[in-house]
Amino acid sequence: MSIPVLALATDHWYDLRDLANISDAILDGADKVLPFGIVYVLAALIGFVASFLIFVLPSQLYLGVYGERKIIGRIQSRYGPNRVGPFGLLQPIADAVKLLTKEALTPKESDRAVMYVAPIIFVMPAVLIFAVIPFGPRMVFANVPVSLLYFMAISSLPVIATFMAGWSANNKYSLFGAMRIVAMAISYEVPLVMALLGAVVVTSGAPYAGDFLNGLALQDMVLWSREFHIWVVFVQPLALVIYFICVSAELNRTPTDIAEAESEIVAGYLTEYSGMKWGLFYGMDIGYALGASAFAATVFLGGWTFFGLEKWVPPWMIFIGKTHLFYFLFIWTRGTLPRLRSDQLMAFAWKFLLPLALFNIFLVATERMIWSSQDYAKGLIYVFAVVNIAVSIAAVYGWARFLGYRPENTPVRPRLVKNAGGYIPVGSEANR
Amino acid sequence: MTQTIKSEPFILNIGPQHPSTHGVFRIKATVDGEKVIEAEMVMGYLHRSMEKLAEERTYTQNIPFTDRTDYLSSMSNNLGYCLAVEKLASIEVPARGNAIRVIMSELQRLASHCMAIGAFANDTGAWQTPVMWAFREREKILDIFEVTSGARLTCNYMRIGGVAFDLRPQFEPMVRKVLNDFPPFLQEMEDLLSGNEIFLSRTRGVGVLSPEMATNASLSGPMLRGSGVAWDLRKADPYCGYEQYDFDIPIGYQGDSFDRFIVRLEEMRQSLHIIQQALDGLPSGPHSTQVPLALRPPKGEAYARIESPRGELGYYLVSDEGPAPYRFHIRPPSFINLSALREMTVGGTVADAIVVLGSIDIVVGEIDR
Amino acid sequence: MDGGGIVFAFYVLAAVTLISAAGVLVSRDLLHAVLFLILTFVGVAGLFVLLSADFIAMAQVIIYVGAIAVLILFAVLLTPRAGRNNGETKFALPGILLAVCLAAVFLFVIHDVAWTTNDEAPVLGADQLGEALLTTWVLPFEIASVLLTAALVGAIMLARTPQEEAEDALA
Repeated sequence: MSIPVLALATDHWYDLRDLANISDAILDGADKVLPFGIVYVLAALIGFVASFLIFVLPSQLYLGVYGERKIIGRIQSRYGPNRVGPFGLLQPIADAVKLLTKEALTPKESDRAVMYVAPIIFVMPAVLIFAVIPFGPRMVFANVPVSLLYFMAISSLPVIATFMAGWSANNKYSLFGAMRIVAMAISYEVPLVMALLGAVVVTSGAPYAGDFLNGLALQDMVLWSREFHIWVVFVQPLALVIYFICVSAELNRTPTDIAEAESEIVAGYLTEYSGMKWGLFYGMDIGYALGASAFAATVFLGGWTFFGLEKWVPPWMIFIGKTHLFYFLFIWTRGTLPRLRSDQLMAFAWKFLLPLALFNIFLVATERMIWSSQDYAKGLIYVFAVVNIAVSIAAVYGWARFLGYRPENTPVRPRLVKNAGGYIPVGSEANR
Repeated sequence: MTQTIKSEPFILNIGPQHPSTHGVFRIKATVDGEKVIEAEMVMGYLHRSMEKLAEERTYTQNIPFTDRTDYLSSMSNNLGYCLAVEKLASIEVPARGNAIRVIMSELQRLASHCMAIGAFANDTGAWQTPVMWAFREREKILDIFEVTSGARLTCNYMRIGGVAFDLRPQFEPMVRKVLNDFPPFLQEMEDLLSGNEIFLSRTRGVGVLSPEMATNASLSGPMLRGSGVAWDLRKADPYCGYEQYDFDIPIGYQGDSFDRFIVRLEEMRQSLHIIQQALDGLPSGPHSTQVPLALRPPKGEAYARIESPRGELGYYLVSDEGPAPYRFHIRPPSFINLSALREMTVGGTVADAIVVLGSIDIVVGEIDR
Repeated sequence: MDGGGIVFAFYVLAAVTLISAAGVLVSRDLLHAVLFLILTFVGVAGLFVLLSADFIAMAQVIIYVGAIAVLILFAVLLTPRAGRNNGETKFALPGILLAVCLAAVFLFVIHDVAWTTNDEAPVLGADQLGEALLTTWVLPFEIASVLLTAALVGAIMLARTPQEEAEDALA
């Protein structure tokens, strides 16, 4: 990582456009008075508190819990929480207090140690994900060169925690949930990686400030959008769609929440959990969804950039706005769509998403070759964007037709007959 | 390859406490992985001994019992019972009473089908949205019931010889509002669910019931019509003057869960049509004939059947000239329809079993009585 | 001091790796053994990070924890009587003998090799790795992928039921 990140703001500590200024000022001051080593701890603490204040608290509590319930409420033509505090704003706090005071039951025949550890393991990756997300030009906790892979690696961990939860509870419904989530995780990891590969191919190796961008680093992806004045989503629309579907499957969001499908297997792997143990799963589900949204905002929606607007508006606000926009998609699908059956979900991953993702990589790699032979001409990327959007729509529709998608053959109105009688074979109802 | 991976089937108790059993009802399913290889129904958790209790009460006192069998369509149940008593005691109902009965039972069908399709969509995993939308519309009908009978769920409105009270002045505008609001709502449900690829893939070809099977198991209502059998007691054996109204019988194509769903949606359209006609031609006159409070029908027996939202609802009464029925029996449509559950679930997955159960639209109060 | 933290981290990670590896051996529950194995993988990934092999560390977590461990969990689910104790086996004595021999060989190799130290930090980026795999080591790479594909096909063949094969034979 040798690329200098252009500072957008001044480096006065009071310049809120870049919160790294203020934390640097504090750490520099602390370095002078405190013994060595404490500053490392302090840096982590500041990072934690700051991200908690500007991101986790508003997002998790107020978008994740309150906002989701409120928006779903409006989708379902009801009010949502409106009793606790003004407009029900204190509802998440009341929920948390209720969960904390509730007894966390452990079934007698369960595997106690595993059942106890599972929520803890579930929480850890949700916190770790945010370490590599760039909130602003210099506001990234660990700017590792392989942050995209880091995200992939971390996001594969919660599956194990959910499996542990499902297995240890010694409940048949929990076991179903565990079985389903393990099968689904294997299936959906593949198209997810393939989709992200498309985004990496686009950004990787593009020239920037005398150097080349590293497509595996999230900050470089943001710089790419800034350099070429286009978000990755316009060049890679198909990748975003596949990413969204795969990530909602991995996160157990509703169209694909087969691991905790409440109408089928009660609550899946969470069936035997109660109290704050359940609360940790619930809260961190939102945490993962936010992490996935933040990641999508970084990779596909240009991160903290907004076509030059980031010079006036604090970049971290732009970034949080984009994250919430993406999270809204999760809420929206949750409020609208029914759930797929587990075998249909697997078939969808392997038969539909994977070929499309491979096709997408092929497409973008071809374009990448043309682009690098044209010396990364800036205008060319817009041509690619238009081409890719058209080709993606055609590919999705064409592949669906190929796999047997025939909406016009599906009658959505029943046949009508005038008189009662016996069985009427299809096609002979007209003369009754 | 002679060796195969063996799997151990195990027994999964779906219910009695399960979010999708619509009450306290249990399916004892033997599953092999996700596949259901045997399903046994266990019921009786809500048994309240209504048929025996009714033998101790007078004919009029039994009407509130019928509210509580199928608690999602109390008006239809009242009607079925009253028709049976009227048949037993040869009582004529005035024209206005019949028209009110028709309007009420069609409104009840709308309310019940709202619940049915909402809960069905919920079973497929559409998280609460269709059920909430359906409840929003059902509420308007329950308001009408409240204005007319004083109760929303257990109305106890029909009486032997007519209905309990005449209609209130605000009744007609309220019904007109329902007639206006429902078509857009039905269109909305169709847009949300019938055109939804996920919903289609969850319901099409799931729980297929052949017409032979459906008739042999003596199913009725949307279950039978979904299999393509044109059978509706309002046409086949009209009561309350249904022969005056113009409406169609919707029938399905292949008898899967989706067909039952679209049949219910279309039945709601037909019900709106019937209500429209009945309301426009509402006769004046008395709403009820005078019937002695301690009714003692002549010796004999009577069976009256109506097309309840769930199918053929029959009441069988035997009189020994006493003030209470000698024998009181209900033919509950949910109970009979449920008998086909095993045929439809075995071979599918657990998720399919839930969808099939939702498509039957059971009311446990009616099954167990 | 920069080294202090890394040394400390090394000992912690080594301890985690070794203890959980021992846990794999001694735990009687099959599932607990798998979970310990996952912890071992994570510890090894941490050691890779300490060696500034970021890419390999991430690949270790993605492949071993995210894919292989999950596959093992899946296999555990399909295993009849997965909860049984795996304590008694007649292979205990040969196993111990083999382990002792292996340990002796390792100790000998570690003692005998003339270790060279390189002061310059090696560049181990993803691009160098990719280049090496697709130029110098392209043949082993391809052979490995063919082997994995064969294993995949074999697994599918094993999992098929006789009915499915009969259906395919008809079609």
